[in-house]
Amino acid sequence: MRARLAVAVALLSALVLAGCGGSDTPPPGANPAEPARPVGVQDPAVLPTSSAAAAGACNPRASYRPTGALPAAGRMPSGSAMARIQQAGRLVVGVDQNNFRFGYRDPKTGNLVGFEIDLARELAKAIFGSPDKVLFRAITTADREKAIQEGRVDVVIRSMTMNCDRWERINFSTEYFSAGQAIMVTRDSPIKGIKDLAGKKVCAATGSTSIRNIAAKAPDAVPVSAPDALDCLVLLQQLQVDAVSTDDAILAGFAEQDRGTKILPDRFTEEPYGMAVKKESVDLVRFVNGVLERMRADGTWTRLYNAWLSSLGSTPQPPAPQYRD
Amino acid sequence: MLATAALVVLGLATGVAGAVGVRQRADLVDGAVARSGELTVAAQQLYRALSDADATAASAFLTGGVEPVALRERYQADIADAAAALAVVSGGGAGDGRGANAVARIAAQLPVYTGLVETARVYNRQGVPVGGAYLREASGVMRERLLPAAQELYDAVSAELDEARDDAGAFPWFAVALGVLTIAALVVVQRFLTRRTNRVFNVGLVVATVAAVAVVLWLGLSALVAAGRLEASHDRGSEEVARLADARIAALQARADESLTLVARGNGQAFETDYDKMMDRLAGDDRSGGLLVAGDADASTRDALAAALTEARNWDSAHKQVRQLDNDGQYAQAVTASVGGEPTSTASIAGRLDERLGAAIEHNSEVFRQEVRGAGGSLAGADIGIGLLATLLVLGAAIGIQRRLAEYR
Repeated sequence: MRARLAVAVALLSALVLAGCGGSDTPPPGANPAEPARPVGVQDPAVLPTSSAAAAGACNPRASYRPTGALPAAGRMPSGSAMARIQQAGRLVVGVDQNNFRFGYRDPKTGNLVGFEIDLARELAKAIFGSPDKVLFRAITTADREKAIQEGRVDVVIRSMTMNCDRWERINFSTEYFSAGQAIMVTRDSPIKGIKDLAGKKVCAATGSTSIRNIAAKAPDAVPVSAPDALDCLVLLQQLQVDAVSTDDAILAGFAEQDRGTKILPDRFTEEPYGMAVKKESVDLVRFVNGVLERMRADGTWTRLYNAWLSSLGSTPQPPAPQYRD
Repeated sequence: MLATAALVVLGLATGVAGAVGVRQRADLVDGAVARSGELTVAAQQLYRALSDADATAASAFLTGGVEPVALRERYQADIADAAAALAVVSGGGAGDGRGANAVARIAAQLPVYTGLVETARVYNRQGVPVGGAYLREASGVMRERLLPAAQELYDAVSAELDEARDDAGAFPWFAVALGVLTIAALVVVQRFLTRRTNRVFNVGLVVATVAAVAVVLWLGLSALVAAGRLEASHDRGSEEVARLADARIAALQARADESLTLVARGNGQAFETDYDKMMDRLAGDDRSGGLLVAGDADASTRDALAAALTEARNWDSAHKQVRQLDNDGQYAQAVTASVGGEPTSTASIAGRLDERLGAAIEHNSEVFRQEVRGAGGSLAGADIGIGLLATLLVLGAAIGIQRRLAEYR
């Protein structure tokens, strides 16, 4: 009798347990405790397929030499890309609105300000005679090439690294800023350099050179990508990644926004920034390079650097132009 | 003897089935239907409050470092409303596992959302761009987690309401069938007795028959009236509320999209596309109706809908101007036209549209409550009445037969 009772109890509890197991599985994505993360984060990142153009196959800094003196503002040579822009009445520039000191939205006024924003205004001044005839379009890192190719913007000035792969599809001006990739961690992090990144989550922007460099130089790290580099700072602050690796100039902006971070001294790549222009518009590239020449010569570049980037350290010489003629 | 027993049993069964059934349906009307109705209202308020918080936070961000007091207060009121509505829904035990899971997710994510918004605010005041990144993350939590969970909750609670209403409005077939059977049995017994005793009427049995007919009529009619009122509570009450709530939510979503398009600044095509989708839902592809068509709404609701449609059209054309300004590079003017305080700004127009819809929702919720009360009223006392009639039936039948038999002997 007792044995029979025990069997019945065992059977019954097995049934109850089986019943629980069936109904306990929550629907996918319904975990209430899942941490919040910025929209569009990929963890682990889906890396872009590596490009055909090998590094060193070209000199990425070499652009097209300006032809003669710059045309006077408001009198662009007819038939040129500049004349078409003048016709349209405004220069459309793709910029960043999240890169502190380079291109960001000043929360007090709502206006876009920064070093790259002022460079764009200088271009507009050279074409129209007025620095205000410029329409800024905030674009994401991954969208930069497409925005140029589809003609949504005339120029992209958005911390864009000149490299041989991109030269295949678009043109760059001469270098206007010299950056290099570095690593940012929280102040008390045990990570001391690139060799400590193995097995760690490292964040960079989707479609950036940085995310490829992480895969190449720290193959054991776990790359995490976000639509904007600034989202990586959010992830670092929320302890969802162990490090952020992107251009030192961008990281310097992050460090200014959060004193609880530090930038590691290693700078393991060179990232020359150029203004990007459509592949067909070589005349516009030459014109932009002419404007950059003038800015280097008359001290405008140094003035803008001092105005925005003095926190990066003592003012360097403007990057010397290199030409492929 | 046998006839007496059969009649007594039938009469008792009819009385018990009828009275208990009526009691159950009356309880469903006063309990489940009324409660689910209130829960549906709360779930809809929850969705509205969350959606409005999203739109308001984005507008406050657009206005610059220190947000206007009115926007801050509105955001805080939204969060308080959302928390209160969530407490109502979870306290009401939002039925099945789906609803409970949604409540758990909202309860877990709402503080995360507010935390992100506050972080964004602090950074924004310091004038650094990471505030914008936090606002985008907050909006992502809202759109990808909180709003879908609130939608699920609303669906679960409305499904419960429909179920409760169907149960409460069900026709008492069993009790009515028993009643009809009792009447038939009474007729048979009376014909038998008439033949045996040559008396046409037997007072006891006649009383029993009248009582049985009254029971059946009361059961049937009260059930029909209650079902009718419940149907009206659906057609003129909760169904209209659901449609109006849909419209209100589409409008709020469109408003948030409009602000976020400006926040994203030239990179907001996804938001602009979503705005179009929401406006299409709200006012129709050609802005001629959509969720705002009059349909068979009552006069007061029709007026509100017509006014709301006018506001929606005004909004859409004002929105086109905002987009035009932004696309032409006049960003500051675009922001003013969108979040400014003057009556022509899209913020003001969207606010008026929301008020219209809110008032219409309140009106139709009241209609719902009235009809449910009416349904409850039509069943009120029926259980006791039917019980008394059934007693009369049993007594009449028993006494009538015994008397006659005694006389005959």
